[in-house]
Amino acid sequence: MIKNPSLTTAIALVLLTAVVLLVAVVPLLPGYDPYTQDLAGSLLYPFEMLEGKRSILGTDKLGRDVLSRLALAGQVSIVIGLCAVTISMFFGVMLGLIAGYFRGWSESLIMGLADLQLSIPRVLLLIAVTAIIGSTVVNLTLLLGLTSWVAYGRVARAMSLTLREREFVLSAITQGASPIWNIRKHMLPNVLPQMLIVGTYELGAIITLEAALSYLGLGVQPPLPSWGLMISEGQSYLELNPWLSVLPGIALFMLIAGVQFLSQAFTSEGAEDRRVSSNLAT
Amino acid sequence: MTAFLIRRVLQSVLTIFGVLTATFFLVRLAGDPAALLLPVEATDRDIAEFRRALGLDQPLPIQYLKFLLSAIEGDFGVSLRQRTSALGLVIERLPATLELALTAFVLGIVLAFLLGLAMRLSNSPRLRAVIMGVALTRQAIPVFWFGLLLILLFAVNLRWLPSLGRGTIAHLVLPALTLATYELALYLRLFNSSLATEGQQDYVRTAYAKGQSKVKVLLRHMLPNALLPLITIAGINLGLLLGGTVVTETVFSWPGVGRLIVQSVSQRDYPVIIAGVVVVCLIFVIINLIVDLLYAYLDPRVRLS
Repeated sequence: MIKNPSLTTAIALVLLTAVVLLVAVVPLLPGYDPYTQDLAGSLLYPFEMLEGKRSILGTDKLGRDVLSRLALAGQVSIVIGLCAVTISMFFGVMLGLIAGYFRGWSESLIMGLADLQLSIPRVLLLIAVTAIIGSTVVNLTLLLGLTSWVAYGRVARAMSLTLREREFVLSAITQGASPIWNIRKHMLPNVLPQMLIVGTYELGAIITLEAALSYLGLGVQPPLPSWGLMISEGQSYLELNPWLSVLPGIALFMLIAGVQFLSQAFTSEGAEDRRVSSNLAT
Repeated sequence: MTAFLIRRVLQSVLTIFGVLTATFFLVRLAGDPAALLLPVEATDRDIAEFRRALGLDQPLPIQYLKFLLSAIEGDFGVSLRQRTSALGLVIERLPATLELALTAFVLGIVLAFLLGLAMRLSNSPRLRAVIMGVALTRQAIPVFWFGLLLILLFAVNLRWLPSLGRGTIAHLVLPALTLATYELALYLRLFNSSLATEGQQDYVRTAYAKGQSKVKVLLRHMLPNALLPLITIAGINLGLLLGGTVVTETVFSWPGVGRLIVQSVSQRDYPVIIAGVVVVCLIFVIINLIVDLLYAYLDPRVRLS
C-alpha cells in the first residue's frame, strides 16, 4: 500500500516494528516469565543486579519481570484492539450499506442510532456498561467493538449513496438481482478500501480507550497485564521507581503513534482523503 | 431559524430519552437489581421487601414508565454507600468538573492562538516543524499517561506544583494543561489553514496596498475572521472535553463527577453511577445544542441544510 514512503510512513514503520519485536520476540527469549512473583527482588530498577541475576527492565512491586509483562501486555492490547476493530468494522459496514442501499426508515433508524451514540461520551458509556456487566477480556473486546461502529457506518453510508446510482448497480437491479447479492458483490468491494483506512484510524482510538479503561481499573483485570493497568500500578511508586509507569507508557506511545502516523499516511494517499477525514471529524 | 431550533431541541430531548432508556434496560439486562444492590448477607425476606419497595414485582413496561417519571423529577434513588440522594452527590461534584472543563477549554484556545500566531509570524520553518511535531506527539499520548508525565516532571522532580486534589489555582494547572493540549494539533492545523485562507482574500491585499505592516494586517484584519472556526470547533469539542475529565479527574484526584463515577463503580454504587452518567450526558447534549444553535445563528448556511 506504500507508494512513496514519506517521513511519516518511515516513522510509523520504525515504531510499529519496535512494538512487534517487543510483543513477538521477547516471549521467545530465555527467562520470559510474566507471572512468577519474587518479593525479595521487587521494585528493581532497569539493569539492576540481584544475587547475580540481572533484571533487564527491572521488576514490579511483586517482583515480576517488567520486560516479560510488557510483552504480554502488548499482546493483550493488540489482540483486543484488532478484534474490536474487526467487530466494529463488520457492524459498521453492514449497517452503513443497509442504510445507504435501502434508504427510507432503515436509514433514519440507523443514522438516528449513530447520532444517539455520538451524543454520549464513549468513555462514559464504556464505564457505565462495564460497571454493570463486569469486565472480562471478552466483554471488553465486544463492548469496544460494538460502540465503535459509527465511523464506518457513516462513511459506508455516504459512499453507498453515490454507488447506488452507478450503472453497474442499477443494471443488476433491473436484471432482478437480490439486494443482498447486490450489496455483497457490488457495494462491499467498493467501500472496503476506505473502511480499512477508517480502521487504522479507529485502531489507535480503540487502543487508547482500552488503555484508559484498564488504567481506571475497569478494563483488563489482574493478574493479566495491560499497559494501562501497568501505568496505574506504577503510579504509587512514581518517586521510588518511575520506570514502572514510564516503560509501559513509552510502549503505549509507540503503538498509538505508529498506528496514527500510518493512518495519516494512508489518508493522505487516498483520493478520498477529504471525504474520509471530514466524515471522521463529525 | 425557528424550524431549525425546534428540530434541534426535539433531537436533544430524544437523545436524553434514549440515554435514559438505554440505562434502564442495561441495568435490567445485568440481572436482578436485588442481587446487585443488596448486600450478600440479605435474607429472602429482605429481598422480597426490597423488590416490592423498588416496584420490581410489577411488569417491565410499568417499571420503565416509573423509572422515566422519577428520572424526570431528578430522582435516581439513594446512594448505597452515603445514604443520601444520588443526584445530590453528583450535583455537589459538578462545580469542580465544570471548573476543570472550562479552564481547559479556554486554555486550549489560548495555546492554539499563541502558538499559531508564532508559527505564522516566524520565518523559520524549523520552529513551525517543532511546534507541529510537539502537538502531533502529544496527540499520540493518552490523557491519563500525559497527566502522569506532568506529575512526574512538575510535582515529583521539580516540585513546582501540587499533583493531587483541588483548592488553589496551582492545583488547576496540571489537569487543565493535560486536557487542553489533547486537541492542540487539530486546533493548530485548523487555525493555520484558516489564516492561510484569509491571507488570500481581497481585503488583506487592500490592507497591504494601503501600506499597513504585516503584523497589523494579521492582528487587525485577519484574526477576527480566522478565530471564528477555531472557537467553533473548540465549542463542538467542549463535549468531548467533558468526557476527558472522567479520566483526568482520576489521575489528579480531582473531586469532580468523573472521579465520583469511577469510585462508585468500584463500590458498586449503582444509583450514583446512573445519576452521574445521565447528568454528564445531559450537560453534553445541552452544550452541543447551544453550540449548534449559536453556530446556526452566526452562519445562516447551517440552518438550511
